Amino acid sequence: MSGENLRVVGTRVRKVDGVELVTGRAKFTGDMKFPGMAYGYAARASVPAARIKGIDTAAAEAEEGVLLVLKGGDIPGPNIIGILPPFDQPVLATEVIRYAGESFALVVAESPEAAKRGARVVKIDLEPLAPILTIDESLAEGARPIHPQGNVTYAKKLVKGDVEKGFTEADLVVEGTFETSHQEHGYIEPEAVCAVPSSDGRVTVYASCQSPFHLRGHIAANLGVGAASVRVVQAYTGGSFGGKDDVATEIGTLAAVAARRLDRPVMIAHEREESIIGSNLRHASRIAIATAAKKDGTIVARRIRILLDGGAYASESPFVTVKTLVHVAGPYRIPHLHVESTTVYTNKTYSGACRGFGVPQATFASESNIDELARRLGMDPLAIRLKNALKAGDANATGQTYEGSVGLVQTINAIEERRSRLAPLPRNDERWLYGRGVACLLQGISNGAEGVDVVGASVQVSQDGSALVSVGLADMGQGARTVCAQIASEVLGISLPMVTARQVDTDSVHDSGPTVASRTTTVGGQAVKLAATEVRKSLVAMAARMFKVDESLVVLQNDFAMLSVDANARIPLRDVATAAYWTGYPLMNLAFSKAPDAVFDHETHQGNVYIAYNYGTHLFDIRVDKHTGRVEVLRHLACHDVGKVINPMGLEGQIEGGSLFGFGLAHMEEVLFRDGRIINANFADYALPSIKDRLPTEAMAVEDPNPTGPYGAKGVGEPPVAGAAAAFANAVADATGIRFRRLPITRQEILLALKAKPGEE
Amino acid sequence: MLIEFICNGKSTAVEARADMRVLDLLRDSLGLTGTKEGCGRGECGACTILLDDEPVNACILYAAKLQGRRVETIEGVAGKDGSLHPLQEAFLEEGAVQCGYCTPGMIMSAKALLAKNPRPDVAAIEEGLSGNFCRCTGYAKIVKAVLRASGEEMRGGAAPGEEMRGGAAPGEEMRGGAAPGVTT
Repeated sequence: MSGENLRVVGTRVRKVDGVELVTGRAKFTGDMKFPGMAYGYAARASVPAARIKGIDTAAAEAEEGVLLVLKGGDIPGPNIIGILPPFDQPVLATEVIRYAGESFALVVAESPEAAKRGARVVKIDLEPLAPILTIDESLAEGARPIHPQGNVTYAKKLVKGDVEKGFTEADLVVEGTFETSHQEHGYIEPEAVCAVPSSDGRVTVYASCQSPFHLRGHIAANLGVGAASVRVVQAYTGGSFGGKDDVATEIGTLAAVAARRLDRPVMIAHEREESIIGSNLRHASRIAIATAAKKDGTIVARRIRILLDGGAYASESPFVTVKTLVHVAGPYRIPHLHVESTTVYTNKTYSGACRGFGVPQATFASESNIDELARRLGMDPLAIRLKNALKAGDANATGQTYEGSVGLVQTINAIEERRSRLAPLPRNDERWLYGRGVACLLQGISNGAEGVDVVGASVQVSQDGSALVSVGLADMGQGARTVCAQIASEVLGISLPMVTARQVDTDSVHDSGPTVASRTTTVGGQAVKLAATEVRKSLVAMAARMFKVDESLVVLQNDFAMLSVDANARIPLRDVATAAYWTGYPLMNLAFSKAPDAVFDHETHQGNVYIAYNYGTHLFDIRVDKHTGRVEVLRHLACHDVGKVINPMGLEGQIEGGSLFGFGLAHMEEVLFRDGRIINANFADYALPSIKDRLPTEAMAVEDPNPTGPYGAKGVGEPPVAGAAAAFANAVADATGIRFRRLPITRQEILLALKAKPGEE
Repeated sequence: MLIEFICNGKSTAVEARADMRVLDLLRDSLGLTGTKEGCGRGECGACTILLDDEPVNACILYAAKLQGRRVETIEGVAGKDGSLHPLQEAFLEEGAVQCGYCTPGMIMSAKALLAKNPRPDVAAIEEGLSGNFCRCTGYAKIVKAVLRASGEEMRGGAAPGEEMRGGAAPGEEMRGGAAPGVTT
């Protein structure tokens, strides 16, 4: 089953779960109904920082329809969530309020309306504290510690070569400081969970979530029961993008605790405002970069300091700190690096995973700086990138080398080839300023520095020749079920309509960790391939017995077993499967895929971190209306090295959607705070890109096979965000002659900068 | 109050408070959960239904407004035999669905558009769907799906009107090597 003659993998297929989605039949969590179901609604803090002196639930309990009011002390377990150390986040705040919107009580009632009425009258007695709202305030000498251990959430260094020596050898140094703002995930389905208790003492939690095994662990710990007593079932999930992790553990825990207390099913479904103020955001960042280079454009050294605003709780900040650290130098061959990355606490909604995981922020800063270097040297922006581009065998920022699947140069060449055929941009006129920007990026695939990377999958073939595939990673809309079904179909020769890929049920597969890091296709797909390959052995062995030939002559395809030497000699797979069952051949396999361990020095971050990287190059052509600041995107090319395309349609969808996500970050979206409160927690004031803002993206792929992925595939869910954001910023700089150093570069920012530009009216 | 209306072609009578949201009436009283809530403020379009063929947000409409009217939800779009509507086929064929949460509302808006304008150009599609947010797809495939459903075979080519934005020749779009080995 090597790369040759693939029949299903690599073909353009419809989503396997598509019909129920276009007909409205798919049940998302909020669509579920269980007999006796009650509803939970949280009481939330309206101030960003305060000590809690008391919480009075009497009025809420007296409200008609209210069944139960939970405070932190009612959680049987530790009342803590948090995916990583320092595990600093309470499910319900008991002593301190650390952000406006933090939950301190949950009201459970007969109806959502009654729960909401109850939540409004939970009284909290607060002693206000001066909020700490910026990175500078957080790090200021003598600043009030937001957590007992201080205001630094996590800090790490990357040291490669001798950065002082590198700067001494350089002909020039280009410096700049770049900032990005908090971004909201903006999935259209707000978070929701429903906990259903059963008579055997277990509780089943249906959840719109990203990492079902995280939920299981947190819910069990906070219930004070073993994980085996909790079952988490992934419901159809309306997008996640990193956002349905911590918050899903929070509301999953609350619903489960309430469900056990009441012995009734309990639903918690967030409203949009709660989804924005009460679940994690993308980290805001400030990144200072100095790049030392030779006159010919060779980059010799970079010194970089990253500061991330992580908000009130750690969430995934430790991992984001490291991911940003490892990626900020970009996909280049640079002998000397010194990078520091620090995340700090502030009294704002916590930041955590958000599509790209620090890489978009890092790439915007790095690629803006590379563009400035190119300008200083009078070099073409693609040429300077090509000159420094990582190739197979080159040591990247962590000193890791790869024998293959380093496709950056191919992506640059593909963009260059396309660019060479384009007519030149029109000249600027009375109204329009034209510009072109490019950016390169890399994005580590797999958990890498974030710990062990294992995924479980099961494949079972029934006597009728149909297959059921289960994998421990979630489909949140990205198409994971389709990819897994394709892989099983390819291996087993069972046609796609006969393959069912189900959502995650923690009862059915090995703990597979979180659905993150663009790893589902790569590591999850590999697990499915392994499981399917084992089941295939039974089918092939059975067919060989039926044909009375050697197994090597048996081919499985299109729901038949056939002879490789005579395609007319064929037996329906259902007959083979039935015979295999009655002969006692195993038709189900539980497989386990483990990516190679990351092995690196934790002081310098030198070593092997990720099993593979996705590489990409983006190009934007834009024009800017001088009089209004309005930007029109004329062209967007996005080329990624994905190792192997499994489903071209799914790939295009990831590139197109991820690019618009990055464009939103770069041009439109910003979570706005006033006095520590989010003031645009709705879709009227938060500018989510609409159909009118869509990009004319041309999705392109190069395939430099990744030996650690199924059929050579590498993930692509996150990488386009960084490429689009950075290339857009460079296009604006090219058009306007102004280097914008903070995202988003909104129409208003552009207009103000154009008005302030010397020589303009 | 008793609210009587036509729902997906069937005479329907429901006892409901006059100030109940249509969204809740559909979802809770009638079990029609295909209509989704995304914002509750008429901003995202996930709850789009057709009221006498006009797209409206069910989250900001009072139940009393349904009296004597004709309502169509996503559950009424496919044929009674389960056959998909051309829009539903086109959304699947073009990959215009990722998570699918916005899809019912998107399809209802598109259906209203095609009823009025069977051959919409890209600008008309943009206008018709501008009240429906999608966070997953980037929208390009949604535009292609609506064009496909209206009989345009725009697959792989720039949509009409796109030339001005992109300057790319029609048909040039995917030539960059989107996917070696693609078969349709």
